[in-house]
Amino acid sequence: MVGFLAGLLDATVRAGTPLLLAAMGEIISERGGVLNLGVEGMMLVGALCGFATTVVTGSPWLGFAVGTLAGAAFATIHAVLCISLKADQVISGVMLTLLGTGLTTYFGQAWISEDIDGFDTVTFPIVGEFLVDLPVVGTALFRNTPTDYLAIMFVPVVGYFLFRTNLGLEVTAVGDDPEAADTMGVPVFTVRYLCVILGGAFAGAAGAHLSLAFSKLWTTGMVAGRGWIAIALVIFAQWRPWRALVGAYLFGGIEALILRSQGLDLALGADAPLAGLINPTVELLTNPQVMAMYPYLATVVVLVATTRNSLKQRVGAPSALLDNYSRELE
Amino acid sequence: MVGGYELDVSARERVPAWLAYGTPLFTVAAALVVSGVALLALGVNPVAAYGTMFVDTLTTPFGITEVLLRAVPLVLTGLAVYLPLRAGLWNVGAEGQLYLGAIAGTWIGLNVDGPGFLVVPVMLVGAGVAGGLWGLIPGLLRARRGVNEIIVTLMLTFVGVELAGYLVRGPMKGGQGNFPVSETLPGAAQLPAIGNLLPDYSRIHVGVLVAILATVAIRYLVRRTETGYEVTVTGSNADAAEGAGIDVEWVYVFVLVAGGVLAGMAGIIEIAGIQGRLRPEFSPGYGFTAIPIALLGRRGALRVFLAGLFFAILVVGGSSMELAFDVPAAIVEVIQALVILFLITAEFFKRYRIGIEREDRDEPAGPTAAGEA
Repeated sequence: MVGFLAGLLDATVRAGTPLLLAAMGEIISERGGVLNLGVEGMMLVGALCGFATTVVTGSPWLGFAVGTLAGAAFATIHAVLCISLKADQVISGVMLTLLGTGLTTYFGQAWISEDIDGFDTVTFPIVGEFLVDLPVVGTALFRNTPTDYLAIMFVPVVGYFLFRTNLGLEVTAVGDDPEAADTMGVPVFTVRYLCVILGGAFAGAAGAHLSLAFSKLWTTGMVAGRGWIAIALVIFAQWRPWRALVGAYLFGGIEALILRSQGLDLALGADAPLAGLINPTVELLTNPQVMAMYPYLATVVVLVATTRNSLKQRVGAPSALLDNYSRELE
Repeated sequence: MVGGYELDVSARERVPAWLAYGTPLFTVAAALVVSGVALLALGVNPVAAYGTMFVDTLTTPFGITEVLLRAVPLVLTGLAVYLPLRAGLWNVGAEGQLYLGAIAGTWIGLNVDGPGFLVVPVMLVGAGVAGGLWGLIPGLLRARRGVNEIIVTLMLTFVGVELAGYLVRGPMKGGQGNFPVSETLPGAAQLPAIGNLLPDYSRIHVGVLVAILATVAIRYLVRRTETGYEVTVTGSNADAAEGAGIDVEWVYVFVLVAGGVLAGMAGIIEIAGIQGRLRPEFSPGYGFTAIPIALLGRRGALRVFLAGLFFAILVVGGSSMELAFDVPAAIVEVIQALVILFLITAEFFKRYRIGIEREDRDEPAGPTAAGEA
């Protein structure tokens, strides 16, 4: 059981990182008022560009940087379309996912058989040396890839940026009421561009982490819906980085559990009270496909529970999300 | 301003004819040119490749059959996105509604005995009901609680896909070894072919008629009925519609349920007409491709039909191209995405006039000052 738990926690951290990175990007983008449904595509682009760079140069860090930049570049298309050209955010985002999927499937074929060393797991410096041997949680907390740590380190950074810096407050202002922000002298368009491009950079980094640290290879469509889960996670976390950290490991934990659910035997003995009722229920609830629904169902529940206009402000939903701001029409 | 020039963006009062009619041609041409670069990058001659893609597809019975069969789910899910879009809502979840329809329809087909002319309609209705229920959830949440329908339809899509995956591994699993597939539908529960008159087109099934009927029905609904009028008014200004006495809540529920019905029927038609049995992830994303199709056809159901046909040509042509030139058929997704991305770019230039104005410091533009005086 201890071995099972340790393995599960370890896999949870691993599965949580890409969700966390992508969700932080989406939080920034949405807080600025732009929904980005292209996360899945941007992650794929980041994953392939990062992987190809690492194959060619041998440097995972360079690959990680290129993957991040590729995500940012891809998001720039979304920014131009939605902010400058006032295109519909839903259609632009969905098309960028389609474009990213198509491009990476098309050009990715050549890279499928390549392999890389990628990021190895490292023991966290100094404190990790002592604590990595802790039972159950030791390796999960203190032996991870550098990008796992990087993702966690970005949580306070993004939190500080959004809530404690001038620019971060401008982001919120632009996402809540672009007109008022404009009147106050906030450069609405510039701030929104920054949000969307930063969001794409995080998505690209999430993808690069997947191909360089998580699986260490490129396969077609390898992001496998994580971009959509990240979008769910943002709502689940109510646009807050710290809650996204918790949510990422929760959703990541579900992913880890799905892979391990076959080794799981929670059935009560046949003579236990209500076994006839409890056993099938537990079996249904721990079915891999059923567990895979949990992130989406939880997101709908959270969304329904928090959608009341009086609540909206408090939970952090940007009220001008999906509204393309345009000066000359108002 | 750096360099003394300034971009001047102003709303157009009317769209010039060349822009209005040239846009579709321009967007498709631009998408093909850019994708052509991708073809060149893999050493394929784009002209030859596009020749295979379009000419071979549209000149052989096999190609035409494939296009029509492919177009059916695309048109139906396209309509499933189009109708809510008329009311100003995004149904991003046609894919999930399609899965629900496939599940319910397959279950009926496997469990109800009877002659085909009875079983098949019951399957279609059952699939429509299941898809409609999947649309009812976001519809009610949007109407009653103001919950964003984009997120709910999107989330329910993945729930629907996983549900199908669960069922074909569990309660609906067939006897074919360990494979996660349902039993194959009995002959009576498979869609009858309508192409028997023309031997070359014998694979064309009755689903094609359903897609045509649905297009006509939705066109009639939107253009000729009071409901359609209410949908359109709600879509152009929900507040004004409310003020004019239209029950906007009802419109929201109606369009998402109707969309779900259409997508659900698409699901069972794909199973009972082509694949024969339910398997996990049986749809290559029809419900997502429906989104650009609905955008292309947003001015009318007939255009949705044509857009669905166009995308079907691309998909079928892409497979032929993959066979002939050994390039990934994924280039089709690139073309589809680029068509839409160029289209929404062109939309901007339809709405706004862009001019470059010279800013001269020595002689301030007279008219502005004079005009204000």
